[in-house]
Amino acid sequence: MESFREIPDYLSLVIGKIANDKRCAKTEGDFMIEMHDVWKVYPNGIEALRGIDVKVDQGEFVYIVGPSGAGKSSFIKLMYREEKPTHGVVLINGVNVKRVRDWKIPYVRRRIGVVFQDYKLLPHLSAYENVAFAMEAVETPKREMRPRVQEVLELVGLGDRMKALPSQLSGGEQQRVSIARAIVNNPTFIIADEPTGNLDPENSWDIMYLLEEINARGTTVVMATHNKEIVNTMRQRVIAIEQGVIVRDELEGEYGYED
Amino acid sequence: MKIETTGRHFREAYRGIMKNSWMSFAAMGTVAVTLLIFGVFLIFAFNINYLTKELDKQLAVRASLQDGTPAAKQVEILNKLKQNPLVKTADLVPKDKGLEEMKKSWGDANFIEGLKSGDQNPLPDIIRLEPKDPKKVKQLEAEAKKISGIVAADSGGGVTQTLLGFSGVVRNVILIFGLALSVLAAFLISNTIKLTIIARRKEIEVMRLVGASNWFIRWPFFIEGAFIGITGAILPIGILLILYQAFYNTINSGAAYTVIQMMPVTSLGSYLAVSTFILGAIIGIFGSVLSVRKFLKI
Repeated sequence: MESFREIPDYLSLVIGKIANDKRCAKTEGDFMIEMHDVWKVYPNGIEALRGIDVKVDQGEFVYIVGPSGAGKSSFIKLMYREEKPTHGVVLINGVNVKRVRDWKIPYVRRRIGVVFQDYKLLPHLSAYENVAFAMEAVETPKREMRPRVQEVLELVGLGDRMKALPSQLSGGEQQRVSIARAIVNNPTFIIADEPTGNLDPENSWDIMYLLEEINARGTTVVMATHNKEIVNTMRQRVIAIEQGVIVRDELEGEYGYED
Repeated sequence: MKIETTGRHFREAYRGIMKNSWMSFAAMGTVAVTLLIFGVFLIFAFNINYLTKELDKQLAVRASLQDGTPAAKQVEILNKLKQNPLVKTADLVPKDKGLEEMKKSWGDANFIEGLKSGDQNPLPDIIRLEPKDPKKVKQLEAEAKKISGIVAADSGGGVTQTLLGFSGVVRNVILIFGLALSVLAAFLISNTIKLTIIARRKEIEVMRLVGASNWFIRWPFFIEGAFIGITGAILPIGILLILYQAFYNTINSGAAYTVIQMMPVTSLGSYLAVSTFILGAIIGIFGSVLSVRKFLKI
């Protein structure tokens, strides 16, 4: 009986090893996100990131954890090219974001969906319009917009609240709209910067199930979080950053901090 | 740019103007004042250009023949002048014909008639010489004087030069005022656009995040600036054309002899309207560029 109890642990180890081997078999530039010896030093001299090396593959779900001020935000910002690395190489979908010309950055961003703690919804637009806005901004023809917006709003469970303004929606619902907006243009991966930070536990779980479902459909999710319960329960890859350095990168990691 | 997107940019520009309606109105007002001054400059410049061309057309050396020169001698002098390479045309104008022409151009026939004492015509017989190159009129004048039988030769070029020189100074003063005001107007438009950018910073942030192209974000601001500039041009064009028409009528009415030949309103109107609209749009777009470059972080 003792050995039977160990089977699930053994299986998870095998699955983890297979995934790891699969990642190791890939060559440079094949990954969705790659960072090689990345440094981010701000003009005031603060070294937010120091020699980061990381690879994230298609379909992965990755948590970025670490204490406040550890460099998580800088790490995230490098991924959607809000910041440029001071040193090192950041490859997003095979594109070196440091070398990409300014006018081409929007085209890099079109393949990335971003979700924030404060939702960043436009208050004068309805849920539908907020999502459609993202399609309009990338000049999608109007006839393609309506069915796609309806589809993603239904996917996030807001099919019946399309006309509601953000002020008429709960925090959880607003975050769903924000996720719908992030996925409406079919990005290859989603970056979520503390998406549950402003939500109660029940809504937080709803959002996590939603992100999990999106991930299950093949979209990579990279999520920075302080939510210990979620990380420890969902058991996905965990990258821990402290003082600008990756101190832990585990396939089915734990949160690892007390807060 | 797609038609759908173009429509969206115009809607957004309109929204920006309505959101800061008072500021937009103030910017339009400044543009209007600027273009009013610029319009005066343009009218001046167009008319100087017109006048120069007209004067060049009329520029001629009037070579006065000695009183009592026999007809054969007059023809001999005429032929001699016709052979001069500087001469385009040479015409003999007998004193009677000269008096008739003077009557026509002065309008006041009685005044001219009064100049005659009895049957005596005070005018000399003249040969009117049209130069090939208007710039060499003085040279032609000097050469004509050398011919025996010609007592005087005058092109009136000095008056033209003085007139053009004076106009040039006035034109430059207006131009400097206009330019200074244009910069002021552009800054005011830039300030209006800045307010729109600040009001829309959340939208701009979202647009950037979802991958809107830089031009997609910028276009509405340029359209807004151009719209303010062009709208600001409507009022000065109207005012200037009405005033010009009134001035033109005053100058050309009555029998008074006029040295100043003004450009007709019909031909000036289109030049003035197009130039002022273009100028308004340039000021507006320049104002937008100032703001977009400074405040719109893409």
